[in-house]
Amino acid sequence: MLTVDNLHAGYGASEVLLGVSLTVTQGTVVALIGPNGAGKTTTMRAISGLLKPTGGEISIDGRQVQGMDASRIAKLGLAHAPEGRKVFGPLSVEDNLLLGAYCRLPKFFGFLGKAAHDLERVYELFPRLLERRTQSAGTLSGGEQQMLAIGRALMANPKVMLMDEPSMGLAPVIVEEVFAIINRLKETGITLLLVEQMAKRALEVADYAYVMERGRIVVEGKPAELQKDERVLSAYLGSVATAE
Amino acid sequence: MNDSVVAQMVVSGALMGLVYALIAYGFQLTYATSKSINFGQGELVMVSAFICLSLTNLGLPYPVMVPLGLFCGSLLGLFVERSGVRLALEQKSEGWILLTIIIGLLFFSVSENIWGRDDRPFPTPIPSDAIQLFGISVTPVEISVAVGVFMIMGIIELFKRKTLLGKAFEAVSADRDAAELMGISATKTIMLSYSLSGMVAALAGILVAPITTVGPTMASALVLKAFSVAVVAGLDSGFGVVVIGLFLGALESLTSYYVGSGWREAPGLVLLILALAIRPTGVFGAAVIRKV
Repeated sequence: MLTVDNLHAGYGASEVLLGVSLTVTQGTVVALIGPNGAGKTTTMRAISGLLKPTGGEISIDGRQVQGMDASRIAKLGLAHAPEGRKVFGPLSVEDNLLLGAYCRLPKFFGFLGKAAHDLERVYELFPRLLERRTQSAGTLSGGEQQMLAIGRALMANPKVMLMDEPSMGLAPVIVEEVFAIINRLKETGITLLLVEQMAKRALEVADYAYVMERGRIVVEGKPAELQKDERVLSAYLGSVATAE
Repeated sequence: MNDSVVAQMVVSGALMGLVYALIAYGFQLTYATSKSINFGQGELVMVSAFICLSLTNLGLPYPVMVPLGLFCGSLLGLFVERSGVRLALEQKSEGWILLTIIIGLLFFSVSENIWGRDDRPFPTPIPSDAIQLFGISVTPVEISVAVGVFMIMGIIELFKRKTLLGKAFEAVSADRDAAELMGISATKTIMLSYSLSGMVAALAGILVAPITTVGPTMASALVLKAFSVAVVAGLDSGFGVVVIGLFLGALESLTSYYVGSGWREAPGLVLLILALAIRPTGVFGAAVIRKV
């Protein structure tokens, strides 16, 4: 569904990604883990078009998308719940969700009716958002904003979804909740690329995982294999386990 | 000193202030989406007024001329965006400041060549004979200014709140990258904001021309005052520009009455300097609160 081949990207003169290749097949959850500064978020930004790749290929559902504007890539079925959540602070929770489905809805009138079904589905997943639907998104707590960012991405009914650091800055109990949601989404057959600092948690939910270091994929495999890999274990899982 | 004279001054000044507010609102529209404003906005007001004058001279009735004029205004706004602002924004530079000034100068000399340098009266079917309202005499032309300003601002605000396209407009101003991720094209949204801003400028021209007459320099003082209204009110509050516009308009006419007509422009400039020195985000501008 999503293939990234030899992706290069960076900011100005500094190259961050030095040839990243990965594949997310339909209906699987793939984790991308690695230390800070490895280029995980840059990979996400390059895939979704927020950052123009300097080389390599990206295809979504068989279509080449590298170099396109982010808004066009979104229309082709990619949703991205970005790092730092990036909800539209001054807009209401419901407006945020509606905008998630922007590509599929009529632009002037009647969009509420057309989105009703999807809204219901997201509210069922995140009852807190239903309670706060008229509140402006900027006033939500960090955890609620994360739920909103995920819900907003789901509203697009995407073919592929990217989720960047959903646990960042959240209290442990909220992190539990976020991973519970990811598990539920997995049961519904979502195709997801998940970037996480909490490598251990990410490996628990993933079908397949890539480990990234200094702009390259260094190890890949099934979570069960990675969990046995000495290098991965000492470098990421051990340290994360103590951090937790 | 007669109370009714003061009331008279306040009302007619405040009505003029609504024109400042409208032009300032045009600044806000483009600032919201692109963090840029058209420094040649005054020339858009003027060119639109000239176009409307020509349309009227062609024999078009007022109700046909107004929408056509607004349409031309939005095309002019798009022209400014495409030929100037976008070039600078694509390179993430502040070059739009100079580019919009240059495009404004270009509009100025083009219109001098087409329409000449003279100030010309602007015919309007709205009568200019004063009527008495609560002991204050106002002209229907002045009332039409208020009606026009509130109508267009009301329509645009409704559009922003009630339609999905309008919400997308707000989304781009809140977080451009996140909006792109929703499939909202920031470029198109910026184009939309410039065309709305051009339309607003054209309406300002249509509303004010019967009072000020039409000439190449008709809007240069207006736009300066609009700029101080925008800065004092903050570049993100539509409600704020109306309040400050009314206030400044009233203050100006009181100043010219009590101090002398030569001092008419002073309050706007003093307010601008004070605002920049004391509260650069504007009286109504909200400091952005971010949760990370």
